[in-house]
Amino acid sequence: MRFLALISQHRVAIILGLTLIISSLVVPGYLATSTLSLGLDRAATIGLIAIGLTVLLIAGQIDLSGGAVFALAGIVSVILQREIDVLPAAIVGILVGTLAGAINGLLVAGLKVNSLVLTLATMLIFRSLAHWITNSQPVTGTDIMLSLAFAQVFLEIFTVRSALFIVLIVLLHFWLTRTVPGRNVFAVGSNPVAAKDSGIASDRILFLGFVFAGTLAGLAGVLQSLVTNTGSPVFGSELTVAVIAAVVVGGTRLEGGKGSALGTLGGVLTIGSLTIAMEFQSIPAYVQQVVSGLILILLVVLDRAVTTKGRAPGTRPALVRDNPITQGGNV
Amino acid sequence: MTDTAMEISGVTRNDRFTRGSKLADMLSKAGLGFAILAVVLYGSFVSPAFFTAGNLLNVLTSMSIVGIVVVGMTFVLVAGGLADLSVPATIACGAILSLGLQPMIGPVPAFVLAVGLAGLIGLLNGVLVGYIGINPIIATLGVGTISLGIVQAAVGGVIVYGSNPASAEFAKGRLFGIPVVVLIFLAIALVGHFLLSRSFWGRWTLATGGNYSAAEASAVPVKAVKAGAFVITALASGISGGLLGLTLQSARPLIGAGYEFSAITAVVVGGVSIIGGFGSVPRAIAGLIFVQLLTNVMVLNGVRTPIQGFVLGALIVGAVGVDAALRKRGGA
Repeated sequence: MRFLALISQHRVAIILGLTLIISSLVVPGYLATSTLSLGLDRAATIGLIAIGLTVLLIAGQIDLSGGAVFALAGIVSVILQREIDVLPAAIVGILVGTLAGAINGLLVAGLKVNSLVLTLATMLIFRSLAHWITNSQPVTGTDIMLSLAFAQVFLEIFTVRSALFIVLIVLLHFWLTRTVPGRNVFAVGSNPVAAKDSGIASDRILFLGFVFAGTLAGLAGVLQSLVTNTGSPVFGSELTVAVIAAVVVGGTRLEGGKGSALGTLGGVLTIGSLTIAMEFQSIPAYVQQVVSGLILILLVVLDRAVTTKGRAPGTRPALVRDNPITQGGNV
Repeated sequence: MTDTAMEISGVTRNDRFTRGSKLADMLSKAGLGFAILAVVLYGSFVSPAFFTAGNLLNVLTSMSIVGIVVVGMTFVLVAGGLADLSVPATIACGAILSLGLQPMIGPVPAFVLAVGLAGLIGLLNGVLVGYIGINPIIATLGVGTISLGIVQAAVGGVIVYGSNPASAEFAKGRLFGIPVVVLIFLAIALVGHFLLSRSFWGRWTLATGGNYSAAEASAVPVKAVKAGAFVITALASGISGGLLGLTLQSARPLIGAGYEFSAITAVVVGGVSIIGGFGSVPRAIAGLIFVQLLTNVMVLNGVRTPIQGFVLGALIVGAVGVDAALRKRGGA
């Protein structure tokens, strides 16, 4: 167990190192602090959503609605600026994310339906809401100067967003590794039936996992809207693949029960530095998509190849399997 | 051999209807019929334009394009493959290539090549899901992103226009007063229905989705069956995309966006189990008819597009919830 974890941590470091070395060889001035700071700031958006997804994936669930919640929360926080102050508006925006996560969690834990399909449906619903509220037009906030405050770089490299991301992911690391609730998440993810028999309230952990993921997607969306002073119903639609890729690069398994916060940090930094490198080389968006898709597929296949031992090949994915109703006792 | 597989899976899996008598089966089939009838009645009352030949023909035509995808998606769900999210990419592949290659190799070879390449995307999905055992949603999401990017790169990320009026005439034309697109859809639906309900492949598909290990133990080529479902969906989406491109005479990279949800909604609303092992093509098409008529009524009543998406999402949640509830009652 510790050995495997060690390998996966090294894997992240190797991939991140290679990305940085190749990027710095290809892109002139890549390793300047200003470039890295920009990359970190961009990665923070993916990173905040990835924090929530890490917890959910470890618990054996997934949330595909993150991108839509991201857009919705941002829109709400920007629209409310006309009525109330910026800070309360931002808080309401984040709470919208919490509420969206609670809806996901209630449906998954309550109805016992597959989280992939359910969050696919709620993604459609949240995205529609975003279009509905805004009439499919981008909305702008009231205070333009706020963007500048958020773009301020301190300690040479951090912005508000990236600092927040780093702090949160370190907190997540300690929560997952050092606390009982954190360990329980792993238990639920690796064997929900055994976890339940050991007295762990699986359903409550799943519910709270979704609430957590929704809140963080909301936080990311609100920050994005404050930084750009805009809320748009199409924000975040390309984030899903990037976020899942980041978490998977970090060694978190899609089958649940395995993963780490520091791994996700590495994965997010990898995706972030790759994005920045490609943008600096003016590579078209669709080629960037090909790259992030390729990374995702290659790493998932690699995961599969390395760790099929102990699991019969072709067994149903955990997202189906660990649903007590669908499982029917044949694991 | 396959009979044994069916029997084993019939006992082990929590089939919704083996425990729940013929009555439950009847009710579940009739329920959708009543729902369709209710929408038709409501539509005719609310909007005078609804129950006219012109409008219904429009619904039928737009339904056919999605319907071709629905036939394929039914196989994916029944085989226990959850869903194919690469449909927008395969539709775009079909549409962009069947138009873009026209000047070089002529309309018919262009169409065939486009569908073939879409099938290749499906094969990639199938290998990843069936043989390597990757989560279908993740695999198809990734493969879809990659293929859409490649198709866009191939044409430089621009809109492609048709250059062969004759092929456009054919796709928009009618045979015996019925639009060609509708006829093609009906043909594909018939083939799909017989493949799923009458052929050994269909029995294998049901067995694989119903109980993977039991099917495997009964010498059903489960991996090939699962992979095949994705190939079938990709071929269907390729054809659908090609027809869409020929009808519109233009194809943008995002031409297929949203079709995956429409198809999944139709299949799930039709009562095909999201977990696999249960479902048929006519059921899925009944779900499609219901969803399409509902959408049509909403459009005629001036309901805005976002709300339609909202209703679609709610329908999926509802249908999946009902599926889960029925399973629970069937005895978990």
